[in-house]
Amino acid sequence: MAIFRTRAVAPLEYTRKAWMQMWVGATLLFLYAPLIVLMIFSFNDSKRNVVWKGFTFKYYEKALGNDSLVEALTNSLTIAFFATLFSLVLGALAAVMLWRFRFPLKGVVEGSISLPIIVPEICLGVAYLIFFARIDWPTGMAWPLNLSAITIAHITFCFPFVAMVVRSRLASFNKEEEEAAKDLGATEWQTFRDILLPHMKPGLIAGALLAFTLSLDDFVITFFTSGPETITFPVKVYSMVRFSVTPEVNAASTVLIVLTVVLTAIALKMQGVKAIAEVH
Amino acid sequence: MAAPLQDWRTQKRPFAAIASMPIFWLVLFFVVPMAVVWLYSFGENAGPADIVISGTLENYKRATEWLYVSIFLKSLAVSALVTLICLIVGFPVAMAITFAPPNWRPWLLLGIMLPFWTNLLIRTYALMTLMGTNGYANKALGALWGGASWLKTLVGMQPLDAWTPAQLLYNNFAVVLGLVYVHLPFMVLPLYAALDRLDKSLIEASLDLGASQISTLNRIIMPLAGPGIAAGVMITLVPALGAYLTPDLMGGTDSQMIANVIERQFKRANDWPFGAALSFLLIYAMFIIVALQSLRRGQPKRGE
Amino acid sequence: MDEIKTVLTRGMGRRSLLQGLGVSAIGISITGLVGCSKESSGGKIASTGEEPTLNFYNWDTYIGETTLDDFKGASGIAVNMSLFASNDELFAKLRGGNQGYDVIVPSNDFVERMVSADMLMPLDHAQIPNFKNVAPEFQDVPFDPKRAYSMPYTWLLLGIGYRKSKVNPVPDSWKVLFDSDQYKGRIAVLSEAGDMFRLYGKYLGKSVNSLTPADIKTIEAMMIKQKPNIKAYHEDNGQDLLAKGEVDLVLEYNGDIAQAMVEDDDLDFFFPKEGSQLNADNLCIPKGAPHPKNAHALINYLLDAEAGKKITETILYPTPNAAAKALMPDTYKNNPVIFPPSEFLATCEYAKFNSELQPLYEEAFTRVRAA
Repeated sequence: MAIFRTRAVAPLEYTRKAWMQMWVGATLLFLYAPLIVLMIFSFNDSKRNVVWKGFTFKYYEKALGNDSLVEALTNSLTIAFFATLFSLVLGALAAVMLWRFRFPLKGVVEGSISLPIIVPEICLGVAYLIFFARIDWPTGMAWPLNLSAITIAHITFCFPFVAMVVRSRLASFNKEEEEAAKDLGATEWQTFRDILLPHMKPGLIAGALLAFTLSLDDFVITFFTSGPETITFPVKVYSMVRFSVTPEVNAASTVLIVLTVVLTAIALKMQGVKAIAEVH
Repeated sequence: MAAPLQDWRTQKRPFAAIASMPIFWLVLFFVVPMAVVWLYSFGENAGPADIVISGTLENYKRATEWLYVSIFLKSLAVSALVTLICLIVGFPVAMAITFAPPNWRPWLLLGIMLPFWTNLLIRTYALMTLMGTNGYANKALGALWGGASWLKTLVGMQPLDAWTPAQLLYNNFAVVLGLVYVHLPFMVLPLYAALDRLDKSLIEASLDLGASQISTLNRIIMPLAGPGIAAGVMITLVPALGAYLTPDLMGGTDSQMIANVIERQFKRANDWPFGAALSFLLIYAMFIIVALQSLRRGQPKRGE
Repeated sequence: MDEIKTVLTRGMGRRSLLQGLGVSAIGISITGLVGCSKESSGGKIASTGEEPTLNFYNWDTYIGETTLDDFKGASGIAVNMSLFASNDELFAKLRGGNQGYDVIVPSNDFVERMVSADMLMPLDHAQIPNFKNVAPEFQDVPFDPKRAYSMPYTWLLLGIGYRKSKVNPVPDSWKVLFDSDQYKGRIAVLSEAGDMFRLYGKYLGKSVNSLTPADIKTIEAMMIKQKPNIKAYHEDNGQDLLAKGEVDLVLEYNGDIAQAMVEDDDLDFFFPKEGSQLNADNLCIPKGAPHPKNAHALINYLLDAEAGKKITETILYPTPNAAAKALMPDTYKNNPVIFPPSEFLATCEYAKFNSELQPLYEEAFTRVRAA
């Protein structure tokens, strides 16, 4: 792929075309305009987030001093981390299974794997409410084990998304490569690790981003699986803003956005860019 | 291009290694919990918190009344429109990410994803602040209108009528816009994952041989991106169909979707059996579609 | 794999940076989290004989700023408050079993519903001496005779909030929302089916508890006719719609509009002459509560005169706590939005829980929305 990078103006450099830049720019504006409004209103000196009343920092103090908000955020990130990790493994395995094998009842298995995407959230939430109550899932364990029920629920509705994305990626895999590797004496595991896994990578990245996003933002299912000690950020925020958004919530979100940007930038600078550049 | 599927019997150990975990998980943590709700769909309320599973089909009979079928069809139409818009908006974005210089790629991907790490409800409220009668979108439109009016007076024509704020919220337009806003990354990510594997030399060859950009897009890129588009449509359409918060908050008096109806059965109406029946009708329909597709794909095709 | 790792670990990074920045309380809350489940309960025992913690499940902005800290100071019991957003959610969640909540705050009809579903613990009045502070009319209520299962916390009334500069003359009837195109496109009503049907019943001169399926049909037709004039069925955020200028008239609870009026002089509120529906939020202990004695202690504390005053100062809802009300300034006591005249109160009723009608309301309202 090195050719593409050295060439000055290639026909494929869509990013340099004006219409493409405008298109992406407009999309980003659409995505970010509400966030900018949100950030501005976090400085609004009014209990209700409706009309501009003046500038203040006090809601930042309030948000950062709000133990339970910070605690909820910690819970959310922990759950999202584990849910993403497990979803990646399960989703990738499911994708490979469906892509590679022919087996009895395959249609049923495939249908069932896409079901968690289809089931209305509230229905799945109620199912978990009953399930965890019936099997007497232990509550009141020490952190982070007390988050296990929520994490299990999240993994279940996240991994089908990973499976779907990875599978669409696998469709392009050239199986001759795999066979060539095996002919050369590579074991099943070596072939998987060195040939298949690198090919799946963009699918895995996209899947991980999806799973992380879905888990971080889930309210309904989490609501039904959480207890008094295991409040997540969306559950907390949802009950706080159901009636009106307070600037305190906006301030907390702004802190979150800024931190995400800064940390992502640092992480990418340190390792991500290089790693990605090497692959392509 | 691809080799035929392997029969699991010839590959028992790899099959077991790969398939056991996802299937085990799915059965234990999805099929079992959902089975209880499935049984509820054949039950009836015996008290405020008691359900008797009597094997009745009454819930399904009610759920297939035209009232609910029509709401379902309307929701499907809205979700399809949302998916189409997401595809149209998202495809160029996914292409831009794919063909961007490698060191830009992660930035663009994260640029698309970042807004989605802010809570959905907060984002929706922010969008509503923007689009309200006295919101910034209306102020910007008003300013444009004023500008146009002023230009007209410059050339000696009557100024335009005074600006009346456009109704951007509390109607079906708002619901579609809100849903596009929420579901765009669900389309961009699978498209990116699929486009990324395009053999760029094919496109180059096509362009070198004198094909236009458009016909290259139609003949080379689109067919190759097929599986990605299918995945993107699936994971945009289906969650959009299940959206309830956006129609609740941004919709007008006639913007209810099927998910709102289902949600109300489980909460306000306290009618879990009926809610379960509505949910499972949705599930049966989707399950059949997916299973049929899989069967069709399972048939050996020419050239494969 | 590196960038996946980046994505995955960012969560951790974000947290450690927060800690690194020394953002107050985070370290505390994390250790608190790990420890609170068992450690804090290890040695200490509250005066009630239970471990000194309590899980309080409340509405948002429904407690005084320092109330829980004051309670901890007085009793040594640390209250962990989590929030719910609607009665339906509270009920749906507790239906599956109590996940560890000690005190909950359901509204009147949900108290009835939960009692009939055997989800509440009977209260021990001997442990709640402050019950004497409660105004007599709230000591015995139709939805919970003799207050066997619930203690009053606040009460509220549905009425109409409006923008003074846009509404002239000031209406006096539900007609303006339910049966008139005078303010076409500038009105919003509730999305809660039961409340809507009952208030239409009130407008038609019926009791909120005497509606029949035939009435529901009549009202459904009226709602469909009125639908083009309505801008939105709001999710109990009507005060925001009003404050933003999206609508000029809105069906809301008096307490919510009273809060919004503090920030906007142009808003006001009236009670329609046909009468209205009374709602009351109540303190209850769900069955299976891990700390019932602590729960009684908290309920007793919340009914204290001084504590009740502090709560009322924050939430500005009408209080059933007569001793607390006596301590409040005249601007509150004589506020006609918060405390309507007693003639009007005589026309108001509590809605009874009715398991037959609720699904009918719901289905009819679904038809209205689909029409």
